Amino acid sequence: MVILEYSKVFTKKICLILLNQPLDKDYLHILWGKGTYFTHQYRSFLDHSPVVLLFCFSNGHSWRKVANETENTSLLKACADGAANHLHTITAGDRDSFLPDYISGDFDSITAEVKAFYADKGCRLIETADQDLTDFTKCLAIMLKEIQEEQLKVDAIVTLGGLAGRFDQTMASVETLHHALSMTQLPVLIIQGTSLVCLLRPQGSHSLEVNTGLEGEWCSLIPVGGPCKTVTTGLKWNLNNQVLQFGKLVSTSNTFEPVAPGDPRKPVTVTTDQPLLWSMGIRKNGDDTE
Amino acid sequence: MDEELTPLDCLLPSGTQKICLILLNQPLDKDYLHILWGKALLKACADGAANHLHTITAGDRDSFLPDYISGDFDSITAEVKAFYADKGCRLIETADQDLTDFTKCLAIMLKEIQEEQLKVDAIVTLGGLAGRFDQTMASVETLHHALSMTQLPVLIIQGTSLVCLLRPQGSHSLEVNTGLEGEWCSLIPVGGPCKTVTTGLKWNLNNQVLQFGKLVSTSNTFEPVAPGDPRKPVTVTTDQPLLWSMGIRKNGDDTE
Repeated sequence: MVILEYSKVFTKKICLILLNQPLDKDYLHILWGKGTYFTHQYRSFLDHSPVVLLFCFSNGHSWRKVANETENTSLLKACADGAANHLHTITAGDRDSFLPDYISGDFDSITAEVKAFYADKGCRLIETADQDLTDFTKCLAIMLKEIQEEQLKVDAIVTLGGLAGRFDQTMASVETLHHALSMTQLPVLIIQGTSLVCLLRPQGSHSLEVNTGLEGEWCSLIPVGGPCKTVTTGLKWNLNNQVLQFGKLVSTSNTFEPVAPGDPRKPVTVTTDQPLLWSMGIRKNGDDTE
Repeated sequence: MDEELTPLDCLLPSGTQKICLILLNQPLDKDYLHILWGKALLKACADGAANHLHTITAGDRDSFLPDYISGDFDSITAEVKAFYADKGCRLIETADQDLTDFTKCLAIMLKEIQEEQLKVDAIVTLGGLAGRFDQTMASVETLHHALSMTQLPVLIIQGTSLVCLLRPQGSHSLEVNTGLEGEWCSLIPVGGPCKTVTTGLKWNLNNQVLQFGKLVSTSNTFEPVAPGDPRKPVTVTTDQPLLWSMGIRKNGDDTE
């Protein structure tokens, strides 16, 4: 059984993986400098307490304010192969503030110029030639190893990219999340555009806090990989021991249980007997929640 | 029941497939639109797709009038709705909350194909693979529903990806020599484990089980052949619905 550590603290640490997709500048700035400005409540699953998935972005702060105030405290940052090209492009003018700890992959996407740039700056280049695993899976494996070797206290791995572009690579990202279940107990989140994706383990129950103010209007439970007997609360359309399965029932365009104006949303709770993909919308350029 | 399919025939100007076209609520690729529209026996927009159609056909809108626009009409703008209504396009409101606009649009199309006794080889859908992640997955769910709605192949195309769900009966033979094929292909067991046999791929499956968490075939490619030789067909047999996906060459070399 999975027991999540109890900790109610006001600083949480993430590690960041960038995949080979165009980067969102706001997301990058916040996640890169992350560490100090959000709360995260993780309690034992026995208490059915909230897990704040969008904790990595904000604690009720506006985007701009967080970006201006954060120090460079994100624990580890890595690029999977061609992600380095996107990082190099989007950080023009301030590249020294955005040097990854390592770049890994089979290096068939990173350009020679970008590779040389980061090598000169002292970033490690870790070539991983294994053809059976994707760059993402290999990058994650290295990160988990470093977390363990350096005995870092990490609460989640956040990934930027992986949900757009080639369809097979989007599916490969989902496959990496499945592998991650046996590689680590840490949540592994993927964010791109206005979507967040996270694979829920089949043990215990999950309680998702959805009151950061950054939640979009939609959420979804997708049984990628096989049928999931599911129970939920906190959704507009809840599941009551129903089986989610492609061809029968997939919960898309769901949303949160309505509450009285001014009231916080209730947590979304999910129990499943097989790994179940949670996906939700991220509000972009929305109102500040100060 | 064996199937022979050339997935990218629909994008080939010299292609022979008779198709019907569904547009989903995503930015439209102009090249794809022009080729597919010219071939399609029926053309429909699912709700907000009409907004994109209206935008991208500015200056020549009369040449791109859909047969119908269906959906719950929560995405189409009032202006666009009025424009197409004035032009005589049917507006079919489908309020069913349990089915997506795509599924409902497909149902209407299949009904019209049957009523008009049209000879159709495939339904081609533009959009559905980008944007909100849940809606991409909903498109895949529609493909699953389609298996029981029709025997016709239902293809989804957006960007440089094509997606098509292979039925568990019989074997599938996919012709991949149009010259429009990209470099990658993929077999994705989205709904559950699939015992799979393939030929014609670089990494074939020999009665192996594809399953998330164990084995998913992504970044696969076609079996290499001698220069100048045509590729062999890709054949696939599966015991459960299995998602085939492949790359589309864009702005590449002509193969004439």
